[in-house]
Amino acid sequence: MSNTSFPIPMLHSTIRIMAPFLLAAIGGLFTELAGMLNIALEGLMLIGAFFSVIFAAATGSLFLGIALGIVASVLAAYIFGFISLHLRANIFITGLATNVFAEGLTMVLAFQIFGNKGVIRFANLPRLPVLSNPSLQRIPVLGDILVGHNILVYVSWLMVVLASIVIYKTAFGLRVRGTGSNPGAVEATGLSPRRYRMYAILISGFTCGLAGAILSLQLGAYVPGVTAGRGWIALVAIYLGNKTPLGILIACIVFGFAESLSNYAQGVIDVPADFILAFPYIITVVAMIAYSMIRHYRLRGSER
Amino acid sequence: MEGITKFFAASGVLANDAVDLVVEEGEIHAVIGENGAGKSTLMKLLYGLEHADAGEITFRGEKVAIKDPFVANRLGIGMVHQHFKLVSDFTVAENVVLGSEPRARGPFIDRRSAVRDVSKVIEEHGFSVDAKRKVQDLTVGQMQQVEIVKMLYRNAELLILDEPTSVLTEQEIESLFNTLKNLLGRGKTIILITHKLEEVMQMSDRVTVMRDGKVVAVRDTKDVDKRELSRLMVGRDILLEVDRKPPTYGDPVLELKDVTIRCRGQGRPLLDRISFQVRSGELVGIAGVGGNGLAEIEDVIGGLRRATSGRIFLHGEDVTALGPEPLREVGLAYVPADRLRRGASLPTTVRENCIVTKHHDFLRTGILQKRGIRAFTERLIEHFSIDAVEGMPAGNLSGGNIQKMILARELAAETDFILFSEPTWGLDIASSQFVYEKMLELRQRGAGVLLISSNLDEILGLADTVLIMYRGRIVGRLENTESLSKEIIGEYMLGLRDDSQSPSAVASAEGSRG
Ligand SMILES: Nc1ncnc2c1ncn2[C@@H]1O[C@H](COP(=O)(O)OP(=O)(O)OP(=O)(O)O)[C@@H](O)[C@H]1O
Ligand SMILES: [Mg+2]
Repeated sequence: MSNTSFPIPMLHSTIRIMAPFLLAAIGGLFTELAGMLNIALEGLMLIGAFFSVIFAAATGSLFLGIALGIVASVLAAYIFGFISLHLRANIFITGLATNVFAEGLTMVLAFQIFGNKGVIRFANLPRLPVLSNPSLQRIPVLGDILVGHNILVYVSWLMVVLASIVIYKTAFGLRVRGTGSNPGAVEATGLSPRRYRMYAILISGFTCGLAGAILSLQLGAYVPGVTAGRGWIALVAIYLGNKTPLGILIACIVFGFAESLSNYAQGVIDVPADFILAFPYIITVVAMIAYSMIRHYRLRGSER
Repeated sequence: MEGITKFFAASGVLANDAVDLVVEEGEIHAVIGENGAGKSTLMKLLYGLEHADAGEITFRGEKVAIKDPFVANRLGIGMVHQHFKLVSDFTVAENVVLGSEPRARGPFIDRRSAVRDVSKVIEEHGFSVDAKRKVQDLTVGQMQQVEIVKMLYRNAELLILDEPTSVLTEQEIESLFNTLKNLLGRGKTIILITHKLEEVMQMSDRVTVMRDGKVVAVRDTKDVDKRELSRLMVGRDILLEVDRKPPTYGDPVLELKDVTIRCRGQGRPLLDRISFQVRSGELVGIAGVGGNGLAEIEDVIGGLRRATSGRIFLHGEDVTALGPEPLREVGLAYVPADRLRRGASLPTTVRENCIVTKHHDFLRTGILQKRGIRAFTERLIEHFSIDAVEGMPAGNLSGGNIQKMILARELAAETDFILFSEPTWGLDIASSQFVYEKMLELRQRGAGVLLISSNLDEILGLADTVLIMYRGRIVGRLENTESLSKEIIGEYMLGLRDDSQSPSAVASAEGSRG
């Protein structure tokens, strides 16, 4: 690899890598705005990853695979929501339980079906279609970076736009935000805050299912624990993004870039591989510290 | 409403016991009663926020089942809650339309017509809020206007106002009452809950008196007087009177020196070189219209906001930079105006609320001693006659009882300095009386007391020294003598008088106390 062309493929892979972060964070944004700390993103994503690849392989249809992966993840989200909201369990504990449950379920099912605890490869798995458009690709730099990804990457961008519209332009969005800020006020108008919280959880199930589908379909295989903490980083992205879709987009670009950088740096820079692999997480910590310092600075002089 | 009964299993309280309430169309009907009498509960039942165990509601001749506020709204019933129910980071218009948003197409809100419709309601009734402002930037009085606009936007015919005047200044109350009379003229019916008997006399046509969850009397207002009402309410005569003995001052316990707060992007400082002392054995009252710096003084002394410049001393120690917790260690007791967010934690138990500020005392080898805590809490409940069980969440207490719990905790701290901000908002007469007596007792014992209050009767009745705030400055420092009147304070509050400009006046005021 020549040094001059080095940044372009790296940026290209940034775009690919950030898509699952983006989807999970956008779903998590809804639950966050509805006033819930949703730590189940990781588990929901894992369920989506597992079932989408299994069903895609079984049916031979990419679309059915993705759809059923999402269904599984939404179903898990529903159970998570039902226990948290209707049975009034602590949402942090149920979120934790969802993550543990997702890990166990995928492991047990994989072993039951394939008799294998490791990576499961599927020979005839349909590949995600890639958007390639020669005329667009000819645009210098941007064409190389933005074109040529699988369609789900573009779907993730669409979701950002869609989320902004829903959150800021619709009655539904207003109600979800109201539920988060003051559920009592929402209740006093005759609406049920609990219902809007449930909708938000289901939305997070939907986007996490899709995020998981990207992860495993991209690989064309099921890798145990394929999410590798991405759900948690998505949670961080929500806060770094100041709870806005645009902010989340920027935060996800940063995380995508960090991971991409660490992929490329292996073998290029003479640093222990472990350190390079830890790079995205270091970026996360640094970003969190920077964020809280900025907040602190901004709040000084006004209320503490 | 007929035979309405509501039992709260959680607290074991029969909040409403076969209550009958008849409100005639076109009247202002006052509902009064002590803290915890069941007034708010009854209104929540009528508004569909709680559900009765027994009884029926008849509205305009028809039996109705009000299962949620939607149904209430559709029937034309609106309610302004004792504790406002507004989303503070939404605009006025967003708050008003929430739940019945005008739609452009499908799910999309038509923002323009929301702002237009809300502005129309605001203008029609002569309110002063801007539909596009965020609610968090409004004064309490304006927030209440938003709540009223919310009802009117939904075309409510029966308006329930649960203690609307508790949190308002005198000027705001006057303008609220004008609004209410105006609404009455348009054929609306109003239920008004209040603890202030002169408001009942002034505003209502009829009055229902509640005690311990029961209705004890229904009267035409013109046939009763305040004395009789208070007797009906409490079961004995009470008069809001305090016996203030002449003060004996000691050393200063609290001192502010040139405390200033500036906010970026604002020309006028929120606090402008505030200097005063509170001496041992002295009760200093601070008066002012909302928005003139009272809240900032509370924040800065309570350690919730840092002064841009200037110094604060407590017991001679420089506490300018200290936050709330270290301040308490130095010896601050503090009753905040915002009782729900600052004063109490609503989901936690009464017990825990009572000991938060002194939980160290209950630690033995790092573990909280439950028995001691229980006993302590029960003592407070008993001594301050709080309507509560020590293990129930504080949020289930009635509005006035939450405040009593906070007062009990702060008074029990027995510090040498205590800051009260609007201590009697929402308290009934007997409880207010009790708090006044406690304040004077503290002062008698040699503590320094600072009272921030928008209630001038309170200031005149209790304070030794009166400070008046206007636009972030202290414009008047007066000794509370016979000649001081509400009118004089009022003129300072409105900026018609200002001693701070003429140095001789300041010097003489300070000299006389030096
Ligand atoms: N959700 C609840 N759970 C348990 N008990 C409750 C609940 N709501 C109210 N109560 C109890 O019912 C009684 C009546 O309360 P309510 O709020 O109706 O009093 P109120 O007359 O409005 O008093 P205040 O003047 O202090 O506002 C109180 O003893 C209160 O503790
Ligand atoms: Mg009440």
